[in-house]
Amino acid sequence: MAEISFRNVTKRYRGTLAVDDASFAVADNEFFCFFGPPLSGKSTILRLILGLETPDAGEVLIDGRVVNAMPPAARNIAMVFQNLALFPHMSAADNIRFPLVERRENPSRIAARLADAAAKLHIGHILHKMPGQLSGGERQRVAIARALVRDPAAYLMDDPISALDARLREETRVELKRIQREAGRTLIYVTHDQEEAMSVADRMAILEQGTIRQIGSPVEIYDNPATTYVARFLGSPAMNILPAQRMGSDFTAASGLLTVAAHDSLTGVTEMGLRPEDLRVTPFAGTGQPATVAEVEPLGGYTVVTLSAGDQPLRANLRGQPDIRVGAQVALSCDPSKVIYFGASGKALPRMKGAAT
Amino acid sequence: MTTIHLEHLVKRFGPFTALKTMDLTIADGEFVALLGPSGCGKSTTMNMIAGMERPSEGRILFGDRDMAGVPMGQRGVGFVFQNYAIFTHMTVRQNLSYGLRATRRPADEVTRRTNAMADLLQLTPMLDRPAAGLSVNILQRVAIGRSAVMEPAIFLLDEPLSNVDAAFRAVMRTELKQLQRTFRQTMVYVTHDQLEAMTMADRIAVMDHGVLQQVGTPLEIYNNPDNLFVARFIGSPGMNLLPGRPVAVSGGLAIDLGALGVTPVLGPEQAAAAGRAKGPVIYGFRPEQAAIVAPGQGMAMPINFVERIGARTILHLGQGQDAAKVVFENDAGFEPGKMLHFAPLPPTVRLFDAASGTALKGV
Repeated sequence: MAEISFRNVTKRYRGTLAVDDASFAVADNEFFCFFGPPLSGKSTILRLILGLETPDAGEVLIDGRVVNAMPPAARNIAMVFQNLALFPHMSAADNIRFPLVERRENPSRIAARLADAAAKLHIGHILHKMPGQLSGGERQRVAIARALVRDPAAYLMDDPISALDARLREETRVELKRIQREAGRTLIYVTHDQEEAMSVADRMAILEQGTIRQIGSPVEIYDNPATTYVARFLGSPAMNILPAQRMGSDFTAASGLLTVAAHDSLTGVTEMGLRPEDLRVTPFAGTGQPATVAEVEPLGGYTVVTLSAGDQPLRANLRGQPDIRVGAQVALSCDPSKVIYFGASGKALPRMKGAAT
Repeated sequence: MTTIHLEHLVKRFGPFTALKTMDLTIADGEFVALLGPSGCGKSTTMNMIAGMERPSEGRILFGDRDMAGVPMGQRGVGFVFQNYAIFTHMTVRQNLSYGLRATRRPADEVTRRTNAMADLLQLTPMLDRPAAGLSVNILQRVAIGRSAVMEPAIFLLDEPLSNVDAAFRAVMRTELKQLQRTFRQTMVYVTHDQLEAMTMADRIAVMDHGVLQQVGTPLEIYNNPDNLFVARFIGSPGMNLLPGRPVAVSGGLAIDLGALGVTPVLGPEQAAAAGRAKGPVIYGFRPEQAAIVAPGQGMAMPINFVERIGARTILHLGQGQDAAKVVFENDAGFEPGKMLHFAPLPPTVRLFDAASGTALKGV
């Protein structure tokens, strides 16, 4: 059982703000993900939770108690690092048992915890092997099992599967989610892979230079990004964010190639955002101006098309394998309800509802 | 000419065979990806093209010139590795222009080509900054630029994007493609990431355990994998593969999947392929190529797990051998525990011989 929260926590390293006035509350049994580019403060937040760092200002709380001064060992939080750090001279079983042997738990309890963790991670058949004989994915599971046997209040994981290859990552992230649900523990997770973050997290926090920009479920953030930074950062290909001009009752963008009916109550619009999957691409019918197809990336299940339209390339994510060639001229359109408008500071404006096409 | 011919290429390290008889021709100006899991032989192949390793058997020709005995420095090959090797005591400009200066090009040419490359790779704003202190992303861009500025006839890249972050990887994929369009080098690109191979390559050579599995355009390989390995490895998620037997049903042939029931009726091409089966088959369909149907109209599998990733929803169905994934573009109330009634789109179904793992073709 562990709720973990920050109240206005700030941490500086030699004058550089690593974490700037961060507040969040991770609920008990929640899978919570910190997502941001390198040096955005993700790892510092983990170190503050673990007690490896002390905040310069603000409070770190575990289950409602301020733990700023509590030493790491007393916090009962297990950490799985990016580099898996298994002992190479010990078998998988000995690696997993290690934290319990250190604590001088009784042997029957150790055996039971080992068997339980091995079953949850499906590694019963490799317990006798040495780390050097295991694949990357297997080593990963052994490292997680070692964290699991400790029965901690919460787990922290710092980019634990980034070393695996793409296919294995896809499988392991689902596995991790299952393990977290079955173990019934709070899990705080750091990653720079957005697919992974969206897949595993109940809720996530998006970081930019030490500041939390938005907290919410992956779907909430994807559908309603609070700022252009968040909008660009989550989603692949990234959201198209285009300078928008008011033209009578419409907004236009991309040198007039994209026109959207405006809502009268909307003021202060500087940019409009449209996800690549919401950009419609149709054969150019000969009215107005066409956009030109600059790049076609066929992925089988869908096709990413880059369009040159004015100053800025636009990306569309089309279903299936449409017959579309580089150099083709196309018309662009979209459903107005899919457009997100941003104001001068890059903050999202309230969504338009029920606008006419 | 910069066509690359690999003829009966074999590489052994002691008792271990890293590459088993590889034959491949890479055309002048073509972008070919060598794709496979770690240990498949892709880097070994690349290293032999570069001249870092000597083939145990077979030969490598650039055009009609045999490369046996030609040292790395004289092959006219540009090389970029996963771990960029940048001179950190130099500026970006000094790094980019290093090769041109080392080969004593006239100063105005050095300036012109360095500036053009910086422009292409969006390095112009940081040309005079020291390389030390730049991000991993930018350093990898500098490494690519430093090699590309020499305009090598052949450009070899070994997992150049695996250390950069995911967002930047997408940007770099586009830039590498543009680079190749600009200079028309023959490009060989080693990766384990099928997405990189699909988005950039003219053709993909899929490898596993030292054996070339299939060569083709990204869509050829996605749509018509030659065997189960390729079917599984290409696509995200890979193709669903369910064991079964052909059976006659009203309206034609279908596949009896045992506990999962009988599939919808096969299309004409698939039925012809099933007719050729000598025993059990594997029924394959892409996660993106299934439609939701009314109960009783198609297959039914329990939803175990719902992954919503941006616009895509991946449903994990069934368990163990009877597991499949399907992908939809919305999340129309999919919930774990419910049954999903769905049907793979008949023309996109693929059948494989269960014993050999090779594709059964209809024609």
